[in-house]
Amino acid sequence: MRQTRALPNGWWGMAVFMASEAALFGSLIGTYFYLEFTGRQWPLGGIAAPSVTAPLLLTATLVASSVPMALASAAARRGRTGATWLLVFAAFVVQSGYLAAQIVEYTSDLDKFQPDTNAYGSIYFTLLGAHHIHVAVGLLLDLWLLARLLSGLTDYRVKAVRAIALYWYVVTAIAVFVVATQVSPS
Amino acid sequence: MRARTAGPPVLAVAAATLLAGCGGQTTLEPRSRPAQEISTLWWWMLVAATVVFLGALGMIGLAWLRRRHEGLPLLGNRKRLNLALVVFFGIAIPVAVNVALFVVSNFVVLKQTEAPAAASTRMTIQVIGHQWFWEVRYPGTSAVTANEIHIPARTRVNVVATTADVIHSFWVPQLNRKIDMIPGRRNRVLLYADRPGRYRGQCAEFCGTQHGHMALYVFADPPDRFRAWLANMAAPARAPSAAAERTGAQAFQADACASCHAIRGTSARGVVGPDLTHLATRTTLAALTIPNRRGDLAGWLVDPQHVKPGNRMPVLNLGRNDVKALVAYLESLR
Amino acid sequence: MAVIGTGAERIERLGRIWEERPGVLGWITTTDHKRIGLLYLFTTLVLFAAGGVEALLLRTQLIKANNGLLSPEAYNELFTLHGVTMVFFFVIPISIGAFGNYLLPLMIGARDMAFPRMNALSFWIFLASGIFMYTSLAIGDAPDAGWFNYVPLSAARFSPGPNIDFYCLGLIFNGIASTLTAVNFIVTMFKGRAPGMSMNRMPLFCFAFLAVSLALVFALPPLNVALILLELDRQVGTHFYDVAGGGDPLLWQHLFWIFGHPEVYIIILPAFGIATSIIPTFTHRRMVAFPLVALAEILVALIGFGVWAHHMFATGLPAAETVYFSAVSLIIVVPSAIQLFAWLTTLLTGTPDFQTPLLFIVGFIVFFIIGGLSGVMFAAVPFDQQVTDTYFVVAHFHFVIFGAAVFPLLGGLYYWFPKVTGRMYSEPVGKLSFWLSFAGTAITFFPMHIVGLLGMPRRVYTYPHGLGWDATNLIETLGSYLLAVGLLMVAANLAVSRFRGKRVGRDPFDGATLEWEASSPPKPYNFPVIPTVSSPYPMWDRRDRKKDERKLERGEMVLDAGHETPATTVVDAELDEILEMPSDSPWPPLLALTLALVFVFLLTGHWVTAVVFAGASAAVLGAWHWKEPEEA
Repeated sequence: MRQTRALPNGWWGMAVFMASEAALFGSLIGTYFYLEFTGRQWPLGGIAAPSVTAPLLLTATLVASSVPMALASAAARRGRTGATWLLVFAAFVVQSGYLAAQIVEYTSDLDKFQPDTNAYGSIYFTLLGAHHIHVAVGLLLDLWLLARLLSGLTDYRVKAVRAIALYWYVVTAIAVFVVATQVSPS
Repeated sequence: MRARTAGPPVLAVAAATLLAGCGGQTTLEPRSRPAQEISTLWWWMLVAATVVFLGALGMIGLAWLRRRHEGLPLLGNRKRLNLALVVFFGIAIPVAVNVALFVVSNFVVLKQTEAPAAASTRMTIQVIGHQWFWEVRYPGTSAVTANEIHIPARTRVNVVATTADVIHSFWVPQLNRKIDMIPGRRNRVLLYADRPGRYRGQCAEFCGTQHGHMALYVFADPPDRFRAWLANMAAPARAPSAAAERTGAQAFQADACASCHAIRGTSARGVVGPDLTHLATRTTLAALTIPNRRGDLAGWLVDPQHVKPGNRMPVLNLGRNDVKALVAYLESLR
Repeated sequence: MAVIGTGAERIERLGRIWEERPGVLGWITTTDHKRIGLLYLFTTLVLFAAGGVEALLLRTQLIKANNGLLSPEAYNELFTLHGVTMVFFFVIPISIGAFGNYLLPLMIGARDMAFPRMNALSFWIFLASGIFMYTSLAIGDAPDAGWFNYVPLSAARFSPGPNIDFYCLGLIFNGIASTLTAVNFIVTMFKGRAPGMSMNRMPLFCFAFLAVSLALVFALPPLNVALILLELDRQVGTHFYDVAGGGDPLLWQHLFWIFGHPEVYIIILPAFGIATSIIPTFTHRRMVAFPLVALAEILVALIGFGVWAHHMFATGLPAAETVYFSAVSLIIVVPSAIQLFAWLTTLLTGTPDFQTPLLFIVGFIVFFIIGGLSGVMFAAVPFDQQVTDTYFVVAHFHFVIFGAAVFPLLGGLYYWFPKVTGRMYSEPVGKLSFWLSFAGTAITFFPMHIVGLLGMPRRVYTYPHGLGWDATNLIETLGSYLLAVGLLMVAANLAVSRFRGKRVGRDPFDGATLEWEASSPPKPYNFPVIPTVSSPYPMWDRRDRKKDERKLERGEMVLDAGHETPATTVVDAELDEILEMPSDSPWPPLLALTLALVFVFLLTGHWVTAVVFAGASAAVLGAWHWKEPEEA
């Protein structure tokens, strides 16, 4: 594959866009702590503080999926189509499992309290929901890659793999902050 | 910063005469120490700003006059000098001026405009913002009124500013800065009037349709006059004496006025609209929108939406006799 | 990859490769940054007129006390829409969408933006969001809680109609366009500069737009969060902003102003960029203290993120917080002052030719000083607490947002008019249009300082006699009519000169930056040869321009093997690869349409339909990326 000195335009575009998404989550997390510090108690209204184990374990899984993603990016730059496809697929499987488990947790939380219960419920479900939507979008990006890579690697597709890998790195890093916020009362 | 050191006196007086309305709502005719200090700060800032502005205009004028010559006048075209000019005027002078401004405004003047310390005030009143009137209460008494606040002159009064609905802002410029009335918060501001008088204020945070007609008066009274006023305010409503007044009192109940308004001492306990117990003592109606005169009051009863469109009092389609009776009754509520 | 032929043959080949589809369809599917810039220009001028008519109606209502021209409901919708239109639908899109789009690739020696189709998408989204927002006015439910839309007034309980939903959804939609443009600008400026244009040789105009774009990337998300949380409160019953549920109305104010203050620097920075383009040209010298000015432009954007609560000094924040925000608000004066004195010193030490574009810049400087000085006064907390929410602040922000941000836009319209049209405007009419606009601006907005000090609050649909406000309001209203005349004269001058102006060549003003190298108007491919650059004033480097002529004959950096543009490294702009760029595409307007429908159905509460169109949008995105660029 063609080697360049600078990072591709597509990578930079993804980087700047993800900076804006990071600012979005920064604002949501800021909102969480603002409501906490201006509130009388936290969580509000006697809602139980969330468990720590499940969220942390799940996030660790997502972080682990960065490894196949990074390896896929490296394989793509070396022109190894088969390896790239398999590594993206491996990452996709782990990420889907992560999202499925998170959705189970989310719906089980909804049984205990809801977004319209009070401000804690509102920010809890909005912050987590926003992240899950980003993971879902990432899965769609993975599927797109998997479909395109079936007809081989081109320079353009290598750039796509790098950009989508970057998407996942940032979403994963944000997950760490989101989960830290989520379990902070516990 | 007392009057003695207040800015270039000639400039201040000349400009004040030019700019000031006749009392009213101006920030430039302060009647209390906080407002005075802010006003003085303003005049000094104006002087500094004028100097900067004229200096920059001068540079532009010079640039025009010397448009065929390169370089600075007398000093020629020197890169180092140009850079020095930018650094001096762009960094050094602004830093110096700003530090001075920062220290004076935030450590000297701010002390005067902050919420008063609890022990430093002689009385407290509560002002509650509504769309679009002011509810006024005097804790420790049963006095409740609306839109026209009375305080004793030369007395430190603690105003607790809250809201019943949206964000409003309590502002009487001649007496002090504005303070927002925010749901869930109890903001406080000092009201102290140097001398007896009437001071006008207005809501200063957009609060909906009739934000433009949400004004208030603060009457600073000599102490004995204030005490008499307060005693009257705390008392229940005068019972109707004349026949017309009695008819009006009955109409008040029958026409559903009591569902929104309170008249203490009667069964009217509505909280949507202003307290009317001593309506006849007020000089205006509808938060200073119209004077409290017979014709205006009647007009309001007939069609409040014409006077103050969008306000919460509906058109009640009152008959002419009802209106006459109600006016008589309301005029008796002294 | 050089293809065989002479210079003339290469130019002819480039023309064929970059030829645009004719007619209306060509404009709808265009990805050419210049056409997109013009689309933005015409759309924003229409919206400017709308915002202007709104202003004239407001001013006419206030011409005398107790006036009955407008009901309070109408007045409140008009002043809200005036603010929303001017900020989101005029000044930002004209600065970045029109000026930025048209000029940035030209100034860096590129053939287009990094992402041409995304550029088109930004425009179509912007247009759709404008139509979305103004539909509210057409149905009589325009937003009416002010352009900063405080809760609880804007919450469902006090604003039950769709007015505020139009506001929230319309602005979220509009924000997508600005975010995508910011991404495009940053990547273009990082990777698309001509070889040799290292970062420190990038024109000051570009530094200003880089600062704007970085600020947009970080400022829009807090606004989006504020809007999303408000819509959730309104539609789903969450409790972010209501006290009873554990929320806080001040949360809205913090989130809004964390966006809102950087927003005003986003508004003014393009003006700084235009000023730093016009001044060197008309003073015939380089900008004094160029590195300081570039640094100052970036610093203004950066420090601008730290001052937001100076909009909240009257809310009862703790003293320590107000003192901190006051301090930073004073610090930010410094980078602005640096730029101001750099411009003034350049004017003084150059040989200024006070033609129309430079006149508008001088007007800008005068108004910027006045607006800046009143701004400094606001940093004095107790003074702010007297005059915030009065006409004193209305004066302040109109001096900076109108006087200081719009005058360079007007000057820029004149300055680059010959480049875009190939014709010259009328200079005498230009000068007259300046003086009328200048006088109109001064007469409309300066007296507002006075009436604010006299206690007139802002956002009041009428006022009583006897408070000393009558005469001043009358003067302001008459001033606004004069201003309208001045602006109409600018428009008329440019419109007539478009067809009857004297034809001019590439560089009628002896400008310093690369857009003057292109023909007037520029060919679709901008430059036949990617220009040689060795300073921030490339047009004043005659040797480099001669080198370009020789390169054309040799076929070096002509890139006529396809629809090509170079990509360079970020800091030193060394040539890295040749990229194949997309040409006309139907996907951007289609995607804007499906996205618009998502927002329409969110507005009407049809959630499922909205999700269906979100899926359709994803499908369009897939179709967009299906065909890949050819390998070079």
